[in-house]
Amino acid sequence: MPTFVINGMSATVADGMTILEAAKQLGIEIPHYCYHPKLSIAGNCRMCLVEVEKFPKLQISCNTVVTEGMVVRTDTEKVRKAVTGVLELMLIHHPIDCPICDQAGECGLQSYYMKFGLHKSRFPLEDKVHKKKVQDIGGQIVLDAERCILCSRCVRFLREVTGTCEMEFFDRSDHSEISIFPGRPLSNNYTGNLADICPVGALTSKDFRFKCRVWFLKTANSICTGCANGCNVYADFKGDILYRLRPRQNDAVNKTWMCDFGRLEYRKANEDRLLTPVIREGGKPIAAAWESVMYTTAMKFKDAAEAHGPESTAVIASPQSSNEELFLVRKLAKEILKTPYTGFSFRAPGDQTFDDFLIRADKNPNSLGAQLLGFSEEGFDRTLKAVSEGKIRALLVFGNVLADLTEGEIVSLLSKVPFVANVGTNDGAVPRAAHAVLPQASFAERGGTFTNYAGRVQRFQPGFRPRGKARAGIEIVSELANRMGAAWAFAGEASVFQALSASEEPFAGLSYESLGEQGRPAGGAK
Amino acid sequence: MSVAFSDTARRELEAILSRYPDKEAAILPALHLAQREFGYVSDEAIVYVAGLLGFTPARIEGVATFYTMYNRKPVGRYHVQVCRNISCSLMGAEHLIEHVSKKLGIRPGETTPDGRFTLSKAECLGSCGTAPVMQVNDDYHEELTEEKIDALLDGLP
Amino acid sequence: METVLTTHFADERYRRVDRYLELGGYEALRKALSGPKERIVDEVKKANLRGRGGAGFPAGVKWGFLPKDLSRPRVLVINADEGEPGTFKDRQIMARAPHLLLEGIAIASYAMTIHLSYIYIRGEFVREAKIVEEAVAEAYAKGFFGKNILGSGFDLDVYVHRGAGAYICGEETSLINSLEGKRGWPRIKPPFPASVGAFGLPTIVNNVETIADVPWIVTHGGEKFASLGVEKNGGTRLIGVSGPVNRPGVYELSAGVLLRDIIYTHAGGLKDGKALKAVIPGGSSTPVLRPDEIDVTYDIESMGKIGTMPGSGGVIVIAEGTCMVRALSVLMNFYAHESCGQCTPCREGTGWLAKVMGRIENGQGREGDLELVLDVCDNMMGRTICPLADAAVMPAQSFIWKFREEFERHIKDQKCPFGNRF
Repeated sequence: MPTFVINGMSATVADGMTILEAAKQLGIEIPHYCYHPKLSIAGNCRMCLVEVEKFPKLQISCNTVVTEGMVVRTDTEKVRKAVTGVLELMLIHHPIDCPICDQAGECGLQSYYMKFGLHKSRFPLEDKVHKKKVQDIGGQIVLDAERCILCSRCVRFLREVTGTCEMEFFDRSDHSEISIFPGRPLSNNYTGNLADICPVGALTSKDFRFKCRVWFLKTANSICTGCANGCNVYADFKGDILYRLRPRQNDAVNKTWMCDFGRLEYRKANEDRLLTPVIREGGKPIAAAWESVMYTTAMKFKDAAEAHGPESTAVIASPQSSNEELFLVRKLAKEILKTPYTGFSFRAPGDQTFDDFLIRADKNPNSLGAQLLGFSEEGFDRTLKAVSEGKIRALLVFGNVLADLTEGEIVSLLSKVPFVANVGTNDGAVPRAAHAVLPQASFAERGGTFTNYAGRVQRFQPGFRPRGKARAGIEIVSELANRMGAAWAFAGEASVFQALSASEEPFAGLSYESLGEQGRPAGGAK
Repeated sequence: MSVAFSDTARRELEAILSRYPDKEAAILPALHLAQREFGYVSDEAIVYVAGLLGFTPARIEGVATFYTMYNRKPVGRYHVQVCRNISCSLMGAEHLIEHVSKKLGIRPGETTPDGRFTLSKAECLGSCGTAPVMQVNDDYHEELTEEKIDALLDGLP
Repeated sequence: METVLTTHFADERYRRVDRYLELGGYEALRKALSGPKERIVDEVKKANLRGRGGAGFPAGVKWGFLPKDLSRPRVLVINADEGEPGTFKDRQIMARAPHLLLEGIAIASYAMTIHLSYIYIRGEFVREAKIVEEAVAEAYAKGFFGKNILGSGFDLDVYVHRGAGAYICGEETSLINSLEGKRGWPRIKPPFPASVGAFGLPTIVNNVETIADVPWIVTHGGEKFASLGVEKNGGTRLIGVSGPVNRPGVYELSAGVLLRDIIYTHAGGLKDGKALKAVIPGGSSTPVLRPDEIDVTYDIESMGKIGTMPGSGGVIVIAEGTCMVRALSVLMNFYAHESCGQCTPCREGTGWLAKVMGRIENGQGREGDLELVLDVCDNMMGRTICPLADAAVMPAQSFIWKFREEFERHIKDQKCPFGNRF
């Protein structure tokens, strides 16, 4: 644990730490491009030069390990001139694309220019080397070779993280250019990360291209809902539109990465949403107010139970729901409806890709949560059997799919139930076949927790208020329960989680505070 | 339109691979071999060598385009590379380059229409004491004069 | 004067092992194998053998950087990537006396417990590579390479590896990357090659001439070799003289020879009785000298005192009437062409220096250009992964400092006073 002095301040750090990492920990910013905490050290941008006593030349702080007694300065005139010098050289060829470049506002060159440059260019425009712009290189990425500062992060990522090596440096000297081999585009499921790690606008997202200036975006800490891995993400939004998801660092789950499928999950918050409560009469949907939908739903369940017993009601939970919602759903099913028919399925239609990195075969964010909170696949099968045998009079179903059943199968199954109420966020076969649709807030519009495949309980935060007439899941379930005779008074997700952790053993001892921004394992889980 | 090594070349590659603890080290010799076998390092040659050694074409392209001796485009039957570095320049290389350029009717970087000659300017060839120097394919020609160059180029088969 | 390397250079058969043996070859190897390895390293240290590739690092010290622990095999790589403009000596060794190099490899490998060696020869040296490959085959046939060399129990494999055209591969970590099949990008240090080198193994990279000196050192002793030179810079050097001199070529001279003597005594002075205008003393990357600065001995310390180096032993003579701006422009184009492109200051700086020098030579220089050039040089020097940026900066700075009026005239008059010609 060496003790060293940096900018006159003494500090003790872990063995093997580099000056750059130590400075980061101590809140001292050392500018850099090629360094990335999850990639090998390249040392080629030369921005992180610092003064180290006893060394005649400036040293790159990303590759200099802190030793006992070392004396470092990052704030001298010599260092400043060096950084400005490198920046100036880097900007000789860099095209002045800012007005049309997506990276503007989160660009390494812009940021450091404002901090360390602010100089007038001394180099004439005619000295620029021109390279190919706007190349579709596959995956989710557009390449602009002219903007590239040749930091090699992309090449290292494709070599060290995905192992697919589709990009490489070609030529040499100031004609060096990164690209793909013609006809061999990016072909892995993690291409989106290239846009994140590229410090400038050389590699940008096709999907996000020209959609929004980043300084208009606000950010919420969230969890990807694309599969059971639970990659931590940032949800960037403006108003009530979600524009993109970016990975958020969590070394226990996804490091600094996420997959390409997950990146497009943001669309589910924007598209095909259920935004108004609906009651269907004679097959035709009529928009209705929450009051009437709630009243009708509660009444139908009460009537079914009175006339045919609790075993004529059923609840199908969704592994897309949060722990808080599932806790209340089970409370509703067990304490209020007292039905023996509950369950959930982790099966889903569509793409089944999985790998040994971040992509799980289970495409739901909270299957384990559903299990831990008392729902089962076996229960689901029994419930579907009861439905198909015409035993169920009132069915409460969450989500817009039923396992991996086709729309036809869903329609035929649900037609056997006189009253189907659906609580969900997006349109699909289930809400289309339901008699009552209760629109739910998406993952971007309410908070809660999910339990990923490895048992890690992680919080997600809302970005904006629910769109349209959608409401938070816990509110919907609470009100339904209360209309059926309960007297619940949960103030919000936090209080539901408090109750949850008090009564459910796997969640014992957890609180929103203890979960923080990185989550914690559920009891008994690794 | 793919290419493949002859049996001789394949055997040479085997011998090459046995010299190194890591097959990656065979990339430079394999590209020399490919250039010899296919005349130049074409896109197909890149893909072929990549497949042979188990690397992506991008990786092989990165190596092939770094080094000047691998021709990614076809060159003439005789690649005339005249050194234009300091010692050769001090001894008149500029004039000789102009002379060859006029004689062949092409500028440095170009190939004669009949595909016979490609003219290039080279950096230091490591024979400064006998400047001016040029390399034609594998052979060095030193202490050049206009007459010597004429005699050499005219006398090529 | 006693010669270490060039004694039999004129003998055209000397490259064949039979002739080499006739003239006493491989006796040093026998002597080396008969004693402890430490003895060889001792002699090399006593010899004050400084690396002959250009950096001048003491060979004995470098050999000592290998880890004591022998669990990981080590590699000896011979740097035969001779590419420094003005340098053409290693070519002579390889073409005329390859077995000197091979015997040196065998002895050095034994001394450092190395069983694997690669001779990295620049790709353009096709003929020399063939000669060396033939010599290697001969050495194997005679039992000087391979298993149980001369019954000593020592094994060694030696291979020739050809480069493919890149000056930067003369830098040892770039050379290692190139050997490994990669782009010739230099590596950041640490780790150093002696701990992580070729294929991740501890590696020593030495210049051809450095290793070729080893057999003589073993035969005659390190002290004797040292005495041929001067204090701290022992032995003889192969010095190449090029440019408009009467007798250009390679000369084996004491490391302490006077630079003036190299030019006027050995190389016969300038052609046509011309006056000297400038000398680049040790390959193009070394700071240029004016005619009043050539009364200096060619050793590293003495040259260092006047701000330059003997470098790779390539003396480039520039005669009166030569445009220094044009000469610098040639060099700047060279470094721009050869920059590997990895790190910002060199990639962008060398490219820009070539452009601006071209403009100044073509009468398009602007006021303030020289200050800008010198400032850019400051931002490049010592800021990069390898010394190529320094190698471009040193001629740029020294030419401008020592011949400033010529540069200013190009800019003021907006034309080259020498007519854009050499």
